[in-house]
Amino acid sequence: MTKKEISLTINGTEHELEVEPRKLLVHAIREDLDLTGTHIGCDTGNCGACTVYMDGQAVKSCLTFAVQADGSEITTVEGMEDHPDAGMGESDLHPIQEGFREMHGLQCGYCTPGMIMSARALLEENPDPTEEEIRESISGNLCRCTGYQNIVKAIQYAADVMNGREPPESPVEHGEAAEPEAASDGGTPMCEADDCCMDVDTDFEPPGGDHK
Amino acid sequence: MKAANFEHHEPETIEEAVSLLESLDEPTILAGGQSLIPMLRFRLARPDTVIDLNGLTELEYIREDDGHLKIGALARHVDVEESAIIDRNYGSFADAAPLIADPQIRNQGTVAGSIAQSDPKGDWGTVLLAHDGEVVAQGPDGERTIPAKDFFLLPYDNMLGEDELITEIRVPESGSNEGSAYHKLKRKVGDYAMAGSAARVRLDGGVIEDADVALTAVDITNIAVDEAAEELEGERPSADLFREAGKIAAEQSNPESDEHGSAAYKRNMVRVLTQRALADATERATQDGPAADFGTDQLTPEGMAAEGD
Repeated sequence: MTKKEISLTINGTEHELEVEPRKLLVHAIREDLDLTGTHIGCDTGNCGACTVYMDGQAVKSCLTFAVQADGSEITTVEGMEDHPDAGMGESDLHPIQEGFREMHGLQCGYCTPGMIMSARALLEENPDPTEEEIRESISGNLCRCTGYQNIVKAIQYAADVMNGREPPESPVEHGEAAEPEAASDGGTPMCEADDCCMDVDTDFEPPGGDHK
Repeated sequence: MKAANFEHHEPETIEEAVSLLESLDEPTILAGGQSLIPMLRFRLARPDTVIDLNGLTELEYIREDDGHLKIGALARHVDVEESAIIDRNYGSFADAAPLIADPQIRNQGTVAGSIAQSDPKGDWGTVLLAHDGEVVAQGPDGERTIPAKDFFLLPYDNMLGEDELITEIRVPESGSNEGSAYHKLKRKVGDYAMAGSAARVRLDGGVIEDADVALTAVDITNIAVDEAAEELEGERPSADLFREAGKIAAEQSNPESDEHGSAAYKRNMVRVLTQRALADATERATQDGPAADFGTDQLTPEGMAAEGD
């Protein structure tokens, strides 16, 4: 089968590659270009770990052939530190990266590169999103560790920095993670009822008096 | 490598694409690739040649002309989501787009590709049926239009010939006295529908002059429920009428039990979703303004919870 010559601009550097048409973009990025920050999770388009930022959009690089990306401009997680917005916060990192570090937006970190690229696509288009919009933007990215709460907070942190607001203090470095509110994971109640889901009565005793 | 090897062709014109379809041995067409690439990866599909349409930028459009809303074969789900034309008057399209898969997949996947895939769990076929739409196909003998009601044959099978490709999806232009809506039930964000219902009504002097109801994932293809449309036409919209139409849609559906729910549960959901879609469609038909301003918000738990049944 004929190989094809393609050109990919990744993180500002142009690469000429010769690929079989069946090669997925994620394999070209990881194996041919050795940029292993982009992860392969499910390999079937469900998990979003392979998300890259291609020509202004978040795409799953396991659902794209490398030949389809010919001539495109791609950012991977490795390129975030060179983004013009990098260094706006307290470190040299991009505010999204800093947000993940400061707000404990990861545990194992496997989903993080994909989450960061989805968050970038969101913030490029919508610099000051609501929590709902953040959740929608990462709905194609699975995280099996964090329950998403701190990922949402990490992206909110980035939006704060990028909009010139003071971001919240890191619960990790300031020991606030042990506070009851943070420990109960701060989930949004599904309903408004007082006696429902999130509002747990710690003094609850089973009815029927003394059970001995 | 996950996929078996194939020759990759990138035609620059529709004519070139059609002549490749004719001359190559059992080629497969690649548009958005969001269903095809996993199929190639699992080797459920093993074509020797792939005809990649992504260079045919002339097919990237959504426009109203000649009394039709026309969606070019390379319009992506996200283009529908962001289209001002769609938002103004095509409520069921506006409802369906953000409920498909996830943002990354919507950036790549195409409406026409989804129709060509003809997955009974796909959403666009249902929307197309509810709008009494057509599929425009190009083949060696030129162009032909296939009514949506004739298009879907079996799961993943349709009326397209082997040497034909879809160039456009079109529906009759929607007037200001017309409204449509799509309601989809899924287990979680990004899933295919467990059941879905699209409804469209056109009002004339407070009476439903024309209506269509179509369903997702509850038969071997997306289906139109003509019996429900007949029940609605000539009547004044009311909760009782919609309940009756919902009941008919449920009776006409043929869901199968699976890990997501029993057939009886799904049939009941068809009833509920159809009522809701009819209520939203009617509200949109009677109000001026973008579709998004009226109808149910299906994107947030709060929006769904706020709506009673």
